[in-house]
Amino acid sequence: MTYPEALVELIDDFQSIDDKMERLEYVFDLASEVNELPVAEWNEKTRIHGCQSEAHVLLVIEDGKVSLRAGADSKLVQGLMGILTIAMDKLDTEEAKKITPDFAVDMGILNSLSPSRSNGFRNMFDKIMDELEEN
Amino acid sequence: MAIRDDFPILQRNINGHPLVYLDNAATTQKPSVVIDAMNEYYTTNNANVHRAVHTLAGEATNGYEACRTTLKAWFNAERCIMTGGTTEAINLAAHAWGHSQLKGRAIILTEMEHHSDIVPWQMLAEAYGNELRYIPVKDDLTLDMEAYEASIEGAGLVCVVHTSNVLGVRNPIEKIVEIAHKHGAKVLIDAAQGAPHCKIDLKELGADMMALSAHKMCGPTGIGCLLVNEETFQEMKPFMGGGDMIETVTLQKSTYQTNEHRFEAGTPKIAEAIGWDAALGYLGNLNLKEEHQRLLNIARYVADELRSMNMTVYGRHDDDDSAVVSFLHPTLHSEDLAHLLDARGVAVRTGHHCAQPLLHRLGINGTVRASFYIYNTMEEAEQFIQHTKDILERFA
Repeated sequence: MTYPEALVELIDDFQSIDDKMERLEYVFDLASEVNELPVAEWNEKTRIHGCQSEAHVLLVIEDGKVSLRAGADSKLVQGLMGILTIAMDKLDTEEAKKITPDFAVDMGILNSLSPSRSNGFRNMFDKIMDELEEN
Repeated sequence: MAIRDDFPILQRNINGHPLVYLDNAATTQKPSVVIDAMNEYYTTNNANVHRAVHTLAGEATNGYEACRTTLKAWFNAERCIMTGGTTEAINLAAHAWGHSQLKGRAIILTEMEHHSDIVPWQMLAEAYGNELRYIPVKDDLTLDMEAYEASIEGAGLVCVVHTSNVLGVRNPIEKIVEIAHKHGAKVLIDAAQGAPHCKIDLKELGADMMALSAHKMCGPTGIGCLLVNEETFQEMKPFMGGGDMIETVTLQKSTYQTNEHRFEAGTPKIAEAIGWDAALGYLGNLNLKEEHQRLLNIARYVADELRSMNMTVYGRHDDDDSAVVSFLHPTLHSEDLAHLLDARGVAVRTGHHCAQPLLHRLGINGTVRASFYIYNTMEEAEQFIQHTKDILERFA
């Protein structure tokens, strides 16, 4: 599929990094891309199940555009949320619905994560998509 | 020749770095003699054990039973029932002994137990209404022996972990057994972590049952045993039916074997037993006391270094404790640190380590755990510390 421009750049960035450590460092850096959801606003509705760490995401639709707010106690998880933010934030809802988790495969980040973290990333993505469908 | 030369996997590079394997409390690596013994069995002796008269069956039977003989001698145990591991051994004790012997009696556990030594007893208590009592863990990470003594009346069984998989603390088993027996209760020891680090004499310890796994002492996965004294063995009732556990079967009724086979229904873990026997032979050639002291010194060095990095270390590393270092950084998430260490070739474990009640007692959700075994070196510990320092400098 055709990805939004910011996501294409991100995929290119990740594909150009061979070293696992550098990839992880990059994911850590992307934690700053998250529109933070403060701990005080974490609740059962925002919780991402199946994550080994405490992870929350809130999807808000404003003027037909996706807005993601997220938070986690792990910086690595927050970095994965940063990737999703770059992939989806401010997209029209219909555009956002077209995104598939294949972009993470194209990036190659799943190979840098443990199986449980990869599942957590998928759960994060599925939660956002489920909520998009409900809107 | 160094011990680590006997372990082919230690030659691996992980993410471009030499493997530093510090997840030994989860499972240990296997020396060539174990891999070769299992390969040899499948290559030249493979057959089902016990009943057949042909040559291969005889060789397989001898190999399988040799492991039992070695285990009995190693642990000075009267009976040795082969199981799928520590968890299965404790479940066997709950079903084969607990169901018939614990009616109306309390079961004492500790806050320090692995889930494998909690859940089977909770299931039994749910079925039969037994009261479960827990020995608390004190702030100094030892068991509250006064609370234990005060709770012993009316108990039929005390279940206690020999050495904590999270803290490395070796519990005062001898005293626990003495108090239990004085009040007519039996004692089951979870020795999954203790058995790999010291030679345990079951008779000297005085416990009635002891569960352990092969894979934490250089043996294969999928096999363990329940060691039992004769009195307790005679009280046990067959749990799983079929296969090798029977003596005769008619359409009306079955009779059972009288030896350990009565608890080993189905084709047993033959290759695994042969591998475990080889592992015990390998360990038997080492000076385990000296190794234990060397590993404790490594653990103490690591614990001190981590404390100097503002980490909280959960453990005391007394002379009889195991070489396990559980720790947490105040801001860097345990799983983040483990991922970053893995990127540098260092394997550590994170999470609750199947001991959620203990972590709840400590007020935490998980730790990073570095655990050391016979092939680990001080150089590896230094590399681990240096990598951790580098990671903290960059990410914390």
